[in-house]
Amino acid sequence: MDQNQTVALLKRSMPFQTVPSDMLDAIAKLARYESYARGDVIYHQGDFADDVYIVSSGTVQHTLGIGFQATHPEKILHSGDVFGWAAVLDNQRSRLAKTVCMERTELIRINGEELINLFRASPETGDIVMSRFATMINKEYTMPEEVAGHVPHFTQVPVTMATGLTLTMFRLSQWLKSPKPYLMFTGFGILLATWYFTVEVWKLPRFVDMPGLTVVMKEWFSKDPVYGLSIYTPEYYQHIWVSVRRILIAFFLATVLGVPLGLFLGWSKTFREYVFPVFETLRPIPILAWVPLAILMFQGSETPVIYLTFLASFYATALNTMLGVETIDESYSRAAACLGASKWQTFKEVIVPGAMPFMFTGLQISIGVAWFSLVAGEMVSGEFGLGYVINTSYTMVRYPTIVIGMITLGIVGYTSSALVRMAGDYMMQWRVRELALGGR
Amino acid sequence: MSAVLQKSAKAEKGALKGAIRIEDVVKIYDPEGAAVMAVDHCSLDIPAGEICMIVGPSGCGKTTLLNAIAGFHSISSGKIFLDDELLCGPEKPMAQPGSDRIVVFQNGALFPWKSNLDNVAFGPLMQGKLGKKEIYDKARSMMADAGLSGTEHNFPGEVSSGLRRRVEIVRALMNEPKVLLFDEPYRALDSLTKSVMHEALLEIYYKNKVTIFFITHDLEEAIFLGHRLVIMSSRPCKPKKIIDVDIPHPRDYSVLTSTRYRQLMDETIELVHEEAKKAFSAGEKEG
Ligand SMILES: Nc1ncnc2c1ncn2[C@@H]1O[C@H](COP(=O)(O)OP(=O)(O)OP(=O)(O)O)[C@@H](O)[C@H]1O
Ligand SMILES: [Mg+2]
Repeated sequence: MDQNQTVALLKRSMPFQTVPSDMLDAIAKLARYESYARGDVIYHQGDFADDVYIVSSGTVQHTLGIGFQATHPEKILHSGDVFGWAAVLDNQRSRLAKTVCMERTELIRINGEELINLFRASPETGDIVMSRFATMINKEYTMPEEVAGHVPHFTQVPVTMATGLTLTMFRLSQWLKSPKPYLMFTGFGILLATWYFTVEVWKLPRFVDMPGLTVVMKEWFSKDPVYGLSIYTPEYYQHIWVSVRRILIAFFLATVLGVPLGLFLGWSKTFREYVFPVFETLRPIPILAWVPLAILMFQGSETPVIYLTFLASFYATALNTMLGVETIDESYSRAAACLGASKWQTFKEVIVPGAMPFMFTGLQISIGVAWFSLVAGEMVSGEFGLGYVINTSYTMVRYPTIVIGMITLGIVGYTSSALVRMAGDYMMQWRVRELALGGR
Repeated sequence: MSAVLQKSAKAEKGALKGAIRIEDVVKIYDPEGAAVMAVDHCSLDIPAGEICMIVGPSGCGKTTLLNAIAGFHSISSGKIFLDDELLCGPEKPMAQPGSDRIVVFQNGALFPWKSNLDNVAFGPLMQGKLGKKEIYDKARSMMADAGLSGTEHNFPGEVSSGLRRRVEIVRALMNEPKVLLFDEPYRALDSLTKSVMHEALLEIYYKNKVTIFFITHDLEEAIFLGHRLVIMSSRPCKPKKIIDVDIPHPRDYSVLTSTRYRQLMDETIELVHEEAKKAFSAGEKEG
């Protein structure tokens, strides 16, 4: 096995995933390649723990010794799995399990002490790997916590290991490594192929009038578009910008008003009794039913559209935030009361962060429905904007432009929800770290 | 030796705070409707610095009693005192929760959104008694004392359940409480972790003498930890028998193999089994 293959294997194994590549190279230099036949015992319980192992191919059965409890006393390890972590623990230098190869197995082994010395040299990385080891141990084995207590630490300063951005990057790289992107491209491929064949090749009865794939693409990327809208025309970006600005204003207002309302609805029973019935009566009214009143209520063409966009977002945000407060375990507020927190402090320190997971679910929904109602609003009133493009292109028989507007909506809409998710990750590090470090 | 120990214990007792007196407490849930009587004229005296273990059949009303002491809900009649100060009584049916009585919850209530260190510092920070730096220094040193260094900047979700429990106890002790109220804190732990936790708890207790009100289902745990065992009757909750555990403190795990421990175990198993059977058949009648 050469250096590159070893690095690739390390990258696939949970504890080493986020290690920078120069460090990976150094670790790979420590690795020794070995291959075993079926039935070979790699080590017995009680043996001196010198090396950590990573399975490259084949399967290894890992049987925890008697006297240790685990969720799975017997475990089958496959390619990319790590075992033999006793070698990197302080004061725990004997094997707790027996490992047997179940077929021809190739693996790499890394000396625990050498690895730890390497980590001492760059403590930040070392702590990340070790905390991942600890998580792995904790997830798999219900060990006396002492074992996890033996995991060495290298830094004394706060470990700012998982910031929002690195986690997002990590997720992205994980996603690229999984089969998901290929499935996604296949999915898009099928969609585009269906479009192409039904409209342009087979010319199915109801599809002939539809703009075909090639026509739309040609128009979209044309320097001199037939119907006046492509990625080279400034109007295209003006429409996008107008829509985005409306979304930004509406989403901002919905968040600024909806989150506090939701928090108070969930927090105060009295407040809820006043407000919630009104809220629940207004909420089921479809956004489109508000159109006439919105036009009457607000002047100009801009404010009615923003109002309509705001409305649906506001309901989604407030409702989910309220649910978030309701799902907070009562013992958290009780614990806060025991520890001497006032009512207001409890609200700030317990209710707000506790409601955050649901709140961000609400914001995800909110941005989605914002686009939905924006387009509805723009189709009815307003100048500019993607909804307006779609509507006027229909009346003026510019069919390819309709599709360009739709695709653009999809892309911009998707980007906006991705941004909301990133903001959520950034603000809920505790949650992300729980999830990401669990290898999920 | 034991005479000397007892003497020093007595001398210490004068200074100790945290005696709980429960007088004729009744708690009826939903008095206008179903009127479930959870606690029935329960009286119990817990001297300061005692580890008092509460054992009783499921659903008998132990948590109800604990919540009344902690100030999470009201009582219907009776009185509860802490060091001769009225916590709740006829004029004031609900005690004010406070940092002199801190609950360690069954499922743990460390705030998952705060790091372990921030959790530990939470109480004093909220009370605003000390400066921020002093609080964090104290939190760090208390965590180190409890063998928790290195986990300060982890979130609770990142450490094992055993460690989490320990952080929670340290969070309580930061406030120098008079009483710790435990509601089956180790129920979800496996027996190995549990045994480590018991010794850790005793170690912490020997360093910071507080009164401990500890609800459990586990007789082994009850006898191993407690000065006294209060066996509750099936609902409504009322002390049925109080057993003195005359095994001297400090204890360690060798206690489990002593003959006295075995005897006490045999005694209590019978009593508890009887109550459990009553509770079970009562439940069948209700159902
Ligand atoms: N809020 C409530 N309203 C009505 N009945 C309640 C309420 N809380 C508890 N009860 C009832 O009071 C009784 C005592 O409950 P409690 O939780 O105190 O029991 P417990 O001894 O702690 O039980 P366990 O050992 O299962 O925790 C139970 O029968 C329960 O159903
Ligand atoms: Mg209970």
